[in-house]
Amino acid sequence: MKIVLKGVISGLGRLLSVEIPQGSVILVTGAEGTLKSGLVFSMISNYLAADGGHGLYVTLEQTKESHFKNMISLGLKKSDNLQIFDYRDMRREWRDCDLDMIKLTDEVIDFYRDKHNDLTFFALDSLNALYSLSEESNLRMQMYHFFSNLRERGLTSFLIMEVPPLKNPGQFQDRNRPEHFLADGTIELGVIEDKGGVKRYIQISKMRAAKHAMEKHQLMVDENGINILGPIY
Amino acid sequence: MKRSFENQPDMNESQEDDYKRFVDRIIKNNREIFLLTILLDKQMCGYDLIKEIFLKFNVFLSMGNVYPTLYSLEEDEILRAEFSRGNMRSKNYSLTPKGREIALKNIEEFVRAIDHISAHIKR
Repeated sequence: MKIVLKGVISGLGRLLSVEIPQGSVILVTGAEGTLKSGLVFSMISNYLAADGGHGLYVTLEQTKESHFKNMISLGLKKSDNLQIFDYRDMRREWRDCDLDMIKLTDEVIDFYRDKHNDLTFFALDSLNALYSLSEESNLRMQMYHFFSNLRERGLTSFLIMEVPPLKNPGQFQDRNRPEHFLADGTIELGVIEDKGGVKRYIQISKMRAAKHAMEKHQLMVDENGINILGPIY
Repeated sequence: MKRSFENQPDMNESQEDDYKRFVDRIIKNNREIFLLTILLDKQMCGYDLIKEIFLKFNVFLSMGNVYPTLYSLEEDEILRAEFSRGNMRSKNYSLTPKGREIALKNIEEFVRAIDHISAHIKR
């Protein structure tokens, strides 16, 4: 089964010419303030509003309320079928215990899969937070299983990962990290400064089993939400 | 403190294993009923609910199941959540009037189902 994502963000069709296989695990990378959370939230929410199904957005860095407030401030709308989950209460009440965040996240996904048999999307904000809260020993193996579980459950997943800002426009993000090999796709977000000023961009550097453009396209946010314009260069 | 599950009649090791396995399965598959039962008597946070079930039944409910269950029950207005005064670290859950009604009805149905099954399989 395929997920047709190209209509969920205005202009996404410029980048993604066909739909992506259901169960794809996609990394969304970028420096701070590059609209990673907004893009993922918007894609899932718009898809659910148009095509139905349910989604789960797990935030490790913010509370559900502050994440939602940020999304509203960007003019983004939340579908009623998108469940946002945070770990604030768990982390407060179990503060003296080492929590296995990877296992807990798996259990939270299973809970919502039992509750909604049409759970289609999963988002994790962010992988960096998951890593910093997890035991370092055997982390690669644990991540391999985490990625595999997402695929086996047929969840189209977006894993947000913050990376350092690029020093020059021609530079590529570091793709030698294990999550890049494990993921089916990578969407890179960033900012570029040129004569026309500072511009946000989006680039799909990898998307297995889907045709896509390689160029950096301009990304804009206005009162109607997120829009993708033409290539930057 | 003696835990409630230890009050069972004398069992050999194998019987005890079977007993624990069944209790574990029944509680995990019906965790909502057990959480609501405890909340009939007093308000509690997720941590205390997990602890209470462990002390009563020797079953450790996973946080990854208990907290989403509590959030769902709160969304459905069966539970209300509030921070206790002077302790912003624990969110205490209690039953709403509608929740109490639903909890009592569900507990009654659950007990009836268990009794019905027991009556049919008991030798």
